[in-house]
Amino acid sequence: MRKLRAFWIRLLDLIGARRNEDDFAAELESHVEMHTDDGIRAGLTPEEARRQALIALGGAEQTRQAFRERRTLPWLETLWQDIRFGLRILCKNPGYTAVAVLTLALGIGANTAVFTVAQAALLRSWPAKEPSRLVRLIAATPQGEEINFSYADYRDLAEQTKSLEGIFVYNRRVKMLRVGAESRAVLDDVVSPNYFSVLGITAQAGRFFTTGPQPPSEPGVVISDSLWHRVFNADPSLVGKQIWLTNQAFTVLAVAPPGFRGLERMVPTDLWIPVATEYPSQELADRKNREFEVLGRLRPGATTEEARAELDSLGRSLAQSYPAADKARSVSLISERERLREGMIPTLILMTAVGLVLLICCANVAGLVLARSDARRKEVAMRLALGAGRLRLMRQLLTESLLLASVGSALGLLLAVGLLRLQPVLMIPAEVEVGLDLHLDASVLMFTAAVAILSVLIFGLAPAIQLSKTSLVSTLKGEGTGAAKGLRRWTLRNALVLGEIALSVVLLTASGLVVRSLLYSRSLPLGFDRQRQLIFFDLIPGIVGYHSERSAVFFEQVQEKAAALPGVRHAALARRVLLSDSGGGMSQRVSIPGVELPQGQLSIPIKFDAVDGNYFRAVGTRLMQGREFNSGDNPSTARVVVVSQTMEERFWPGQEVVGRQIVANGTACQIVGVVEDAKVNSVHETPEPYMYFPFAQQPSAEGTLIIEADGNSKALTARALSEIQRVDRNVPVTVRTVNYLMQQAFWADQMAAGFVAALGALGIFLGAIGLYGVVAFTVSRRNREIGIRMALGAERKDVLRLVLGHGLGLAAIGTAIGLLASFAAMRLLATMLYGVRPTDPLAFAGSAILVVFVALAASWIPARRAAAVDPMQSLRTE
Amino acid sequence: MGEKTDVWQGTLALMVLRTLESMGPQHGYGLARRIEQTSGDRLQLNYGTLYPALLKLEQEGFILSNWGLSDNNRHAKFYELTKAGQSRVKKAAAEWEQTTAILARFLAPAEDA
Repeated sequence: MRKLRAFWIRLLDLIGARRNEDDFAAELESHVEMHTDDGIRAGLTPEEARRQALIALGGAEQTRQAFRERRTLPWLETLWQDIRFGLRILCKNPGYTAVAVLTLALGIGANTAVFTVAQAALLRSWPAKEPSRLVRLIAATPQGEEINFSYADYRDLAEQTKSLEGIFVYNRRVKMLRVGAESRAVLDDVVSPNYFSVLGITAQAGRFFTTGPQPPSEPGVVISDSLWHRVFNADPSLVGKQIWLTNQAFTVLAVAPPGFRGLERMVPTDLWIPVATEYPSQELADRKNREFEVLGRLRPGATTEEARAELDSLGRSLAQSYPAADKARSVSLISERERLREGMIPTLILMTAVGLVLLICCANVAGLVLARSDARRKEVAMRLALGAGRLRLMRQLLTESLLLASVGSALGLLLAVGLLRLQPVLMIPAEVEVGLDLHLDASVLMFTAAVAILSVLIFGLAPAIQLSKTSLVSTLKGEGTGAAKGLRRWTLRNALVLGEIALSVVLLTASGLVVRSLLYSRSLPLGFDRQRQLIFFDLIPGIVGYHSERSAVFFEQVQEKAAALPGVRHAALARRVLLSDSGGGMSQRVSIPGVELPQGQLSIPIKFDAVDGNYFRAVGTRLMQGREFNSGDNPSTARVVVVSQTMEERFWPGQEVVGRQIVANGTACQIVGVVEDAKVNSVHETPEPYMYFPFAQQPSAEGTLIIEADGNSKALTARALSEIQRVDRNVPVTVRTVNYLMQQAFWADQMAAGFVAALGALGIFLGAIGLYGVVAFTVSRRNREIGIRMALGAERKDVLRLVLGHGLGLAAIGTAIGLLASFAAMRLLATMLYGVRPTDPLAFAGSAILVVFVALAASWIPARRAAAVDPMQSLRTE
Repeated sequence: MGEKTDVWQGTLALMVLRTLESMGPQHGYGLARRIEQTSGDRLQLNYGTLYPALLKLEQEGFILSNWGLSDNNRHAKFYELTKAGQSRVKKAAAEWEQTTAILARFLAPAEDA
């Protein structure tokens, strides 16, 4: 206690240093004066009395020093001195400092980001009470392991189990949540009412489902904390209010606690609805209807083995009692935690990879520090000569490294935050929120600090030891070129740099290929015009209970209202949207009179869309022959169809098509037109036969209003929404834009290109730093040799050539190795590439040229320094 | 070296506290003279060493200091015991007595044992 108090006072005194010093000087002076007074009284002369007083004091300066040491914390003062000195040194070499800090920031930032992901995916404690006791029921079937159970089987298991104290079901679904005029997709878990109580979770507001035998009188819902904030602005009075989900009113019963995102880490749950609300009881009674995942909690004291044995026998009796559904199914369980750990291995691989990146970063910074400390050996020798202790010197050098690492980690943290912020951009665009719950917390900060300290040990310790071992006499005498000593390190570092360069060549070649592939993909004709301002309003009147005739009226009205809006070029209707994620399996069985189908089949499935007469004009699909649909193509007129170019070429090559007939789903349709091929499901699909039917002749309870806007699509979207509302305010609407579709369609390509290109940039950056370190180190070692060469008549450009040659020689070897490695490695990429071969010479040449260019730049700086060597000075001082 | 200083500082601290207890508020010079006197001039005290010891006691909260006037009208810093200091003197004195008593037994002539 007392010691702590004293420590604080000393710490505080350290900050307010000056005033106390004066105070003590006054106290000492008064001490000496009083002593002198006494001496005079005893008969001494004033001078002698004062002399005696000072002797008795034991020296004013010594006393002051002893006082000072006690007053504050000397070691802290030294540390502060070291830090200030280190900062001065680092500021004096801004280039070196910036490069070292940036290198460390990259390594530490990447590690922090990956650790955060790993932590969110694997390590963060599960949002349930005592997660180790949670188990997942699985069923072994002849087809393999399943995790889905029927509700009836679950009820039986729940009633009979003794080793599990609680057992619940959940099933992931999607609902449409009405927010203002729009509806948005949200993920709901349909759960048994004991879901929250078995997990051991308490609501932050309201109360969870009651677990009584009676189903609740009105539908209730629990919403997630995230949804509460995102959609309802954390409205504290929300509990008890009604919200609209897929055209049904639900009362909000409770808000789940922050951080609880349901049971799937990547795909968080937005709301929870009890089973009884969602399923009619006969559906729940059907044992073949296996829709539910089942989790349970082990009774305290029960082991997994006991529970497994018990469930096995319960499963047998189920199979006996209900052979129709449960024959050959046996029930078992696994620890839920174990199951979640399955993601461990890829995460570990990723951690190892970024760990290696950090190692390379550290090696590079060590190279920089070494190159510089070599130049600092004179300074160090001088300080040793002036009496600095070697330990003190090492402390100073390590403090410098620690400073680099601290600034590096601070920057690295920022980088990590930036990378984590990218998650929403990096995730595939989807109508529901997906992604891990990523944020920096205490454990991440601890991890970063540990990584920083570790990297100081890696990159700072060796140079510090080496430098503090500087031989004082020989260095000051100028014998410190120590070529022999540095030789072994030299080869190791050369190998490292060669590896870095080769790796960056491989990565750059890969990014060249992937980027070229992306550019090719982007240039592919899609069969519609992506430049147009297209807005898609997905409408599902079926949800409100509309049958197809009423839906048809609804769609017709919506289209008319939208077309009348100012700023609308075209308003069209379509059953499904091109390149959208809504499946694509929609097809009709088609037979073609007079055409032999493959393998002698009578009919084959061909994918189709139903569109109105404005569709092709609105999205920009070109009409090749015949005509578009018009208002004459309606339910009361003859069936017509427009076919794709590929369909035309496949079945009627070189013949007139318009006017021919096909039979789709048993109905004869006349072909009235041919349009260009359009991408249906993905950008990379090979064109296949495709058909368009008139929207009016294919009644459907869902469809999309497509608007081609003139300019400001935002304002138009709002106006169109209110028009749709005016037709029927209950039909759920979701809005998508053409940009959203494009993002979704090119997501995978873009991710691959972005990821590989980022790796390539990182690789070339590290390679450049490594090369710079080696060349700079060699230049400082060969300072004297260069001096001699110049004294013997070598010109500056010869020196420049010598050093550049060294750097470029290394780069050339590294590049050659890298090109060979690329040749082998790029085959692995082949399946990801479109429109470019894995041996694309442009990508190979481009990466080689870029690497050599960067190597030239990295060698240029030390080469210039070498050329600036003054031979006289170099020979005299060395 | 540190250990020796600690022992010395420990005893010096006790002397300072004890002197302050018996004499009341006192300045550094007065304390030094008094300690010398009390030791019967057997203790050769470097007056300078007193000040770090005083500072330590002040930092630990056993004494506090104020500027005042000495008997000869000189400005001087006066030290006095705090409450914590008073109880500290009692405890430390008792401990010291016990230590010396034990040591005395060891150092007593052998036939006593």
